[in-house]
Amino acid sequence: MLTSAILLQLVLNGLAMGIIYSLPALGISLIWNASGLFNFAQGDLLTLGGYVMLSLFSKLDLPYIPAFAMTVVAMGLLGYALSQIYFYPMLESRVNPQIILIGTVAFSIFIRNLILVIWGTTPQTYANPFGSQVMQIGELYLMPHVIWIVSIVAVLLVALQYFLRGTMVGIAMRAVAQRQTAAWLMGIRNDRMIALTFLLSTGIAAVSGVLISPIIPLTPSMGGMIAVKAMAAVLIGGLGSFGGALVGGVAVGIAETIFAALVNPAYRDIFIFAVLVLFLLFRPGGIFRAQVSEKV
Amino acid sequence: MAKLIALLRRHALLIIALLLLMAPHVTSQYEFYVVERGVQNAIHVLGLLILIGYSGMLSLGSAALLATGAYTYGILLVKLGLSPLLGAVLAVAFTTAVGTGLALPAFRLAGPFLVVTTVGFGEIVRILLLNLEPVTGGAYGLAGFANLLPDPNAVYYLMVVVLFLVAVATERIGRSRLGLALKALREDEVAAQVMGVDVRRAKMVAFALSAMLAGLSGVFLANLTGYLSPDSFTSAESATYLLMVVMGGMQSVVGAVISSLVITSLPEVLRFLSSSRLLVYSLVLLVYLRLNWVRTRSLSTWSGARMLGVLTGAGKGKGRS
Repeated sequence: MLTSAILLQLVLNGLAMGIIYSLPALGISLIWNASGLFNFAQGDLLTLGGYVMLSLFSKLDLPYIPAFAMTVVAMGLLGYALSQIYFYPMLESRVNPQIILIGTVAFSIFIRNLILVIWGTTPQTYANPFGSQVMQIGELYLMPHVIWIVSIVAVLLVALQYFLRGTMVGIAMRAVAQRQTAAWLMGIRNDRMIALTFLLSTGIAAVSGVLISPIIPLTPSMGGMIAVKAMAAVLIGGLGSFGGALVGGVAVGIAETIFAALVNPAYRDIFIFAVLVLFLLFRPGGIFRAQVSEKV
Repeated sequence: MAKLIALLRRHALLIIALLLLMAPHVTSQYEFYVVERGVQNAIHVLGLLILIGYSGMLSLGSAALLATGAYTYGILLVKLGLSPLLGAVLAVAFTTAVGTGLALPAFRLAGPFLVVTTVGFGEIVRILLLNLEPVTGGAYGLAGFANLLPDPNAVYYLMVVVLFLVAVATERIGRSRLGLALKALREDEVAAQVMGVDVRRAKMVAFALSAMLAGLSGVFLANLTGYLSPDSFTSAESATYLLMVVMGGMQSVVGAVISSLVITSLPEVLRFLSSSRLLVYSLVLLVYLRLNWVRTRSLSTWSGARMLGVLTGAGKGKGRS
């Protein structure tokens, strides 16, 4: 029998997963805004972040917080390098977007197989730093990592918003996203700003990769599943919209948890895709009505 | 010398077909199986060439269409007891219908939106294959269906003939009214529409042709392996087919056929790579894309990929924006 308590419990369970989806979704959205490039490798960058954390925290025995910080910084720098060495030169020579899209798909396969070669196929996990003592609040059961994930991500998002709105660099980045030529004429280095966007996107994907570990074990192919959900999230929420990525991710996480519990866990992903296709067909701009119509 | 190369290039398809027809006599049983798979993949990749190369609609769900063709054939034969020929015809027809259905989202969506839709389609098909166990055999796979022709070599000869006909047709489509319409779409949809291209019809035909070839290739795949499992139709497979199209030059029929044959047999040549096969493929693809499409004069003139392009007449789409 579906009581409101059970429903609330499902929403809570879905929330943690949804937040994990919304960070790579946000990354996809930021990069799309800055460069018009849809990054298919975002999910695999997330997985790579998770595995780097595994090595630093579990194999090298670093404390949790420094390991977390090092992972995010390392992944961010990787994103910066990716943009400077690979994607920006392609954007600059006005390569057909389709070719760059294929490039990101190739990166996704490359990273996935790199992980496979380095860390192997067996699902891996490490000690849950937030403790595994279940908390009970009224009729609700809550894992401590859910609270931690929500609060860490909330702080991260506030900081990100401040960075994008309040600092010169953030404003320069948004200027590039709005109109590259005009920004360039104002003396903004497009290549650096786009690389910085990649740095941010890869960094927050890595945050997601680190936080995912208490929820599901790490596998090399995990990124594919998450990328697919993140892409669905970003399109449902509205591509290019900050809030859209977050709302989309959380909506996907909650919807799939409720569907899995009440209808059929095997067809969970099909349900998400069906919702996505309905959105694409009837509201292509997503919830937040991003601009998708082609500019003539 | 130049004349000889020109002559070879003009008849490249015929030469490849003749070489393939000799294959059963000069290869060992295992090598022959690899060649068979190469021919079967080439049929599928030619379909993708129409969709991705000609019309610029990127699909990452192609393995799912292949699966639709293969499974439909298998299910019709095993569960309904149809004759192989009827099963094959119905399988191709059904796959074409499904693929044409995929064109519906393509009417309104472009670029990444369309790609995500095809990824979704691929995942949906894979999940259905895994979970509809009474029909598809689920994770255990599906086996026990008869071949199109009783003699396995006859199936191979049929495949080579089909490949040759499909290749010639694809080449002609590329130069036909339809092909030009598709290429116009790829460059600029609005401009194409203004020039009188029926955008919807062109997209639908591109999807239908590509799905038809995927279905055909799927039927042959079922014939070759005699066993179907959802594992053979993952998104990694779709990515490998995409690789075959891209490495073939995205425009050239001969290039697509050669790259399908080469990439299919590559794992056998590069045995030592075994588990890191896809790692190397994707790295090669990344380097190829970077060197072939970024205008740095000194590098791009000497990239090996470009040399292949010279041989196959591919790479004409270079530098388009």
